[in-house]
Amino acid sequence: MGILIIALKSIIIGGLCGFGVGAGAARMFHAPTCQGMGAFRTLGELNSCEGDPAAHFSFGLGFFFNAWASSVASGSFTQDVDHRIIPNWAAALLMLKNRNVSQTLHNPKKMAFASMLVGILVVLFLNTTTSAIPETLKTTATAVLVPAANLLVATVMPVIFWLAAIDAGRRSGFWGTLFGGLAQLVMGNAVPGLVLGILIGKGVDDSGWNRVMKIMLVAIIILFLLSGYFRGFDMKMIKAFQTSLSYWFR
Amino acid sequence: MNREIASTKNFWYADWSFPLFCGILSAGIFAGTHMFYLYGVGAFNEIAFTAMLKSGMTTGDYGAVAAFGASFLFARVIEGSLVGILDIGGALQTGIGLGVPALLLAGGYTFVIENFIASVITGLILGAMIGLIIILIRKFTLNGNGVGSTFGADVMMGAGNASGRFLGPMIILSAMVASIPIGLGSLIGALLFYLWKKPITGGAILGAMVFGGLFPIV
Repeated sequence: MGILIIALKSIIIGGLCGFGVGAGAARMFHAPTCQGMGAFRTLGELNSCEGDPAAHFSFGLGFFFNAWASSVASGSFTQDVDHRIIPNWAAALLMLKNRNVSQTLHNPKKMAFASMLVGILVVLFLNTTTSAIPETLKTTATAVLVPAANLLVATVMPVIFWLAAIDAGRRSGFWGTLFGGLAQLVMGNAVPGLVLGILIGKGVDDSGWNRVMKIMLVAIIILFLLSGYFRGFDMKMIKAFQTSLSYWFR
Repeated sequence: MNREIASTKNFWYADWSFPLFCGILSAGIFAGTHMFYLYGVGAFNEIAFTAMLKSGMTTGDYGAVAAFGASFLFARVIEGSLVGILDIGGALQTGIGLGVPALLLAGGYTFVIENFIASVITGLILGAMIGLIIILIRKFTLNGNGVGSTFGADVMMGAGNASGRFLGPMIILSAMVASIPIGLGSLIGALLFYLWKKPITGGAILGAMVFGGLFPIV
């Protein structure tokens, strides 16, 4: 029963994603006149196998195996499902009948419906096969993945973002360090603060202290005050200063 | 080219239909995150990125994931409107599929992610809003007032992608802490994936899983 629900949801999800990706990918060929959706690398890859359905299919297939492995391992499709597999297989499907790219790959309507079909099949296959994996294998994956992910989020990401902020210039280094440190204290993770610090630092570097930057700075300060208040940081801080005060001063 | 210009008015090529396409795609991606949250399958993201969400789901701290996803979304929206191609990886898959759910979960709004229909509708609305913002930025910047700054978007994305690369080696380390067989399995899997020219993260987990099935952790 559970697998039926997953299958049904997968069909809907695959259809939605496929439709959007297909239309967006075809529209990329008409950018910038027409706003497209995909990526520059997708555009390049689609162009590089242009006109040959076998090339499109095998290109997608390589990524499909990787996506399958990744799904089995952790339930993640990889971003290639939307980026590469669906558009390339849809293109291959359309080109079986007609090799003219301007009537197939570059046509948002045809690509949308072909991608919808491909999306349904791909998502259905990936989700139903990976949800049938025995529970013991999944527990191992979780036992290995979760500690690594926690380490990534708690230590590695803050450090990398911090160094990136410092390397990006004096201003973003200053604001990144300030907001990053405060965010670690108030929110429990430095990354949100570091991102905001880079935002302010690079924004001011590029356009000076204009209205937009001032509004942003005020918004960030309000954000810190509010999250400090709602997480009870103000009380915790006062208590921590009181109880740890050296006996000399009592 | 003439055909192109003549057909710009057409639904499939028009500016006004872009938010719709963007919304439909986002609905699927957001619902994919719903699947991951509920059944542990079907998230439209790299292993490293969903691992961050998983870490949030176990510890309850979503701050880093939310910031990570939101910075990608922000960066790609600005870039997408300027160049004419919206990057679905950064904006929709990482932003809508990871950052926004993390924000919502951090705020305690679990309903929109636990309920399938609610997740589809939320994704649709959010995606349509992103699409609309992009079309609006395009309209304004085409009138001459170019946006001079990208607000360090490149720095944030560089850092984000760099942190993703750390996960592979860290999984091997964590597998070796779990047990010797699992550690060895993870190492073999990673090596095979490396030879196969694929990211070692997937191989490391798969290798650990195979050996974990043969030699379960007690």
